[in-house]
Amino acid sequence: MKVTVKLFATLRKYLPPDATGGKAEVELPDGATVRQLVERLGIPQSAARLVMVDGEHCPELDTPLQDGQTVSIFPPVAGG
Amino acid sequence: MSGPNEHNQESLDRYSRQMMFPEIGEEGQRRIRRGRVTLCGCGALGTVIANVLTRAGVGFLRIIDRDFIEWHNLQRQVLFDEDDVRECLPKAEAAARKLRRINSDVEIEPIVADVDHTNILEFVQDADVILDGTDNFETRYLINDAAVKLGKPWVYGGCIGSHGQTMTIIPGETPCLRCVIESAPPPGMAPTCETAGILGSAVNVIASLQAVEALKILSGRKDAINRNLIYIDIWEDVFKAFKIEALREKVDCPTCKKGEFPWLEGKFGSHTTTLCGRNAVQVVHRRNERLSFEELAEKLKGVSDVRYNRFMLRFTVDGYEFTVFPDGRAIIKGTNDIAKARTLYAQYVGN
Repeated sequence: MKVTVKLFATLRKYLPPDATGGKAEVELPDGATVRQLVERLGIPQSAARLVMVDGEHCPELDTPLQDGQTVSIFPPVAGG
Repeated sequence: MSGPNEHNQESLDRYSRQMMFPEIGEEGQRRIRRGRVTLCGCGALGTVIANVLTRAGVGFLRIIDRDFIEWHNLQRQVLFDEDDVRECLPKAEAAARKLRRINSDVEIEPIVADVDHTNILEFVQDADVILDGTDNFETRYLINDAAVKLGKPWVYGGCIGSHGQTMTIIPGETPCLRCVIESAPPPGMAPTCETAGILGSAVNVIASLQAVEALKILSGRKDAINRNLIYIDIWEDVFKAFKIEALREKVDCPTCKKGEFPWLEGKFGSHTTTLCGRNAVQVVHRRNERLSFEELAEKLKGVSDVRYNRFMLRFTVDGYEFTVFPDGRAIIKGTNDIAKARTLYAQYVGN
């Protein structure tokens, strides 16, 4: 299955080299979880604190993904 | 006698354009005039929030900030100017002076202090809403603990580079900060304004969103609050609202479900901390009496040139710049090493 992954802010650097506009399509085995996606991209788990699947917050990294979903990951923003 | 150039404090005339906005109206404005706000942190976000809320005519605004103004703050911290830097003013005090000139209707209470578990309840217990103008997650989790414990609304905002995020927390109604971000990234993982930079525009957007949330709450329109986690990137033209409402049901949150308040109990959080990547450390040393700047200046006479005013005392030794506050706190510039900073404090300020 294929999911679209969008990485924001400081996580941009973990996008695959073919990514454009901050997003990329990633091929994953059927039933793969958010955690597997995060590992595939090489994002440290401590940095993947805010994960949205199709615009809804997904606090549980073991949630299985479905073909065609969009996963957005961004870091909590500390400054101010 | 009030002439045409005099402002009558009883009158709501100066707020006419805000009252004209039907969602607020005169009744909403009267409520805003009675509203009490505690603002934690008065840097980039905090100055914009304080500016909007003071002009909007809140009744009372308490501003707590631990820091003083430096030249590199002026790029984005809208209430400060060059004279404030030259005068070595703490941010809370300089903000209060400016805000009183903007709107004398508003009672402003500046407090130069570090918000921590020993004082936060006192700072927020009489507030109708708490605004986050801080620059670190440690203080935000502390605000979250206090707000959930007391059942007070608060508005989180954060900004780095060109991006920022905000969410509004109404205990018992919306998810709390820990429902959404259960723990902060470890130090070093999270970029700071000093390592990633910060654009004034990003701060103005996020702080303006925070301020309007406060106005909704104060004017009695909790129904209109933002129930999403808003994320913006003003350089990349990204404006997103992520749905988080369902988290209240889903997440076994230690704060709002289990009633654990570790930050409020002082179990987490060190008070001697590095300051947002600034090559500076804040050393906190609790004391019961205020520090006498006269005595400290006398003691340091042979060591360094010492300058002080009512608010702070400054001297430099071996390239380390000390800024000492009357509550005994010091900000030591020139190191990120907490142990080194403690040693320097003990050497020159003492116990």
